[in-house]
Amino acid sequence: MPVDLNALQSLRYAEHGVIATVTLVHTHIDMTMVRELTAVCDFLEDDSPTKVVVFQGTGGQFCAGIDFADFRPDAPMDIHGFNKWEKVCRRVERLDKVTVAVLEGAVIGGGVQLALVTDARIMAQNATLQLNEVHQGFLPGMATFRLAKYVGLGHAKRLIMRCPVVSAQESLQLGLVDVATDDLDRALTQIIDSFGPTHVVAVTLARRLLGESFQFSFEDALGHFLAAQHRAISQTAFLQTVQAGQGDPDSDSGS
Amino acid sequence: MERARILSVGTSHPPDRYTQQDILEMFRVVNPVVRALFAASHIQSRYLVLPQADASGRPAETQGQLLKKHRRWALRLGRQAIDRCLENTGIKPTDIDALCCVTSTGFMLPGLTAMFIKHLGLRTDCHRVDIVGMGCNAGLNALNPVTAWAQCHPGKNALMVCCEINSALYLYDDTVNTGVVNSLFGDGCAAVLLRADPADEPTFAPRVLGFQSHLIPDAWDAMIYRWSDTHGRFGFNLARDVPYVLGAHADIPVHALLDRHKLKVRDVSHWLVHSGGKKVIDAIKYTVGLTAHDVRHTVDVLRTMGNLGSGSFLFSYQRLVAERVVRRGDYAILMTMGPGSTVETALVRW
Repeated sequence: MPVDLNALQSLRYAEHGVIATVTLVHTHIDMTMVRELTAVCDFLEDDSPTKVVVFQGTGGQFCAGIDFADFRPDAPMDIHGFNKWEKVCRRVERLDKVTVAVLEGAVIGGGVQLALVTDARIMAQNATLQLNEVHQGFLPGMATFRLAKYVGLGHAKRLIMRCPVVSAQESLQLGLVDVATDDLDRALTQIIDSFGPTHVVAVTLARRLLGESFQFSFEDALGHFLAAQHRAISQTAFLQTVQAGQGDPDSDSGS
Repeated sequence: MERARILSVGTSHPPDRYTQQDILEMFRVVNPVVRALFAASHIQSRYLVLPQADASGRPAETQGQLLKKHRRWALRLGRQAIDRCLENTGIKPTDIDALCCVTSTGFMLPGLTAMFIKHLGLRTDCHRVDIVGMGCNAGLNALNPVTAWAQCHPGKNALMVCCEINSALYLYDDTVNTGVVNSLFGDGCAAVLLRADPADEPTFAPRVLGFQSHLIPDAWDAMIYRWSDTHGRFGFNLARDVPYVLGAHADIPVHALLDRHKLKVRDVSHWLVHSGGKKVIDAIKYTVGLTAHDVRHTVDVLRTMGNLGSGSFLFSYQRLVAERVVRRGDYAILMTMGPGSTVETALVRW
């Protein structure tokens, strides 16, 4: 069932130059949002010429977690919707573009999960993060898998099992976000600039290897790195870096 | 036109299983680089037909003995693979209308097809093709014409058998190159039955939708059998970087094949990649964007059996089917890599 990107209900999608913006309109994650986010990923992967994707909220609110209206207390619970959500998070995590989340308001549950699959997160000074699922009797999705890689197992246990509300300053200190600021627009521009020039192959390979860093033995990871590096150095971007470096030995060939 | 379906797959291997350590001890390998190659954990065991070591610790077989070994074990393992493939299909050897045999590990004339018809009771009017000397990729090079034959002859049974007795093709010395080759390959046969018949629609069997090849002429000698006058036999040479070169080209046929069918990589649920070696599997993972889960059977076949040559991908196919995770409508890509250098692909759908 094709989804018209101009007629989304839970999201808005826009492109300005190389930047795509996905605006969450629904404050909570429902199955409409999962379906529409999947359609947006299809478009980003297949047709969009953009290099950066910004995920943001509306009205000073990024995302307040799961919408329980999709559940029926009188029917057997179904895991299928959770799987769909995890699949779309994985799609976002593997996009061949740089992804940035702009966190405002009380960011809860699935909102935090979505933030964790992006490449960079900026946060308003007065915003908060909270994974409150365990206090509600369920699990914070694959944040159980990803969070400890950001903050270490001790902090992850505290954040997931005790569900504290985390301030922007603490989020920054924990490494959950890259910037905590009152000037989100400026921070967003700066962070997008800092990713440039975006060499898609190098970016996606680096992200994948980092994501796998707790998963494999050193020997396996070395094999993966060499395969990835062979691919990276076979790209035009690296060839140009080498040529530039040879043209002027003093130049900063990495920039 | 009714597409041909893969109705059944059967496999076999020799009875004797060797760990890498077993082989180092049997043949008293001392070269530390070669010992390290064997010690790498991505291959733990292989099924082989090995001779006793001579007084100097070397495997002592003449070229004549190797050719005889190929013939004897190709027949024995081929028979087992065919029996297992036809088991539970209701099809007898006399029902086979076309037979294609694939091997790169021994030359014989008449070929394996004539030997199978003589010894396994296939009909004397069975159509025959022998595909010899195309290497690890040959399973898909053969599956392509076998599929085409089946589609041109609706309702007829076409059988393809990959017979690789890699223990019949080795060159033994103390060099690292032969160490690489001798640590990699295992023996095994795989048979696959195809038929294009609308009556098979209720059967849970994938239809073969198409093939795509990609030859890399610049790497034509990167994997090559060379005659050695010193040893009086062929030896296999593998260029150091060829796994990465193959990997770097793997997405070309994949995308061409998927584009032709208006599909994306994400639409493919299952990947059945040739168990060529650890490096080439890694290179394909990081080029095509496959996960460790996508190549779990490829890695498992490599770990437990080594590189089985042309039939390797069918061993992975068997493991996938045994998992019972495939659903009707799922797409799979079959991929083999080998001398040429080449990457061969096929698209199937359940």
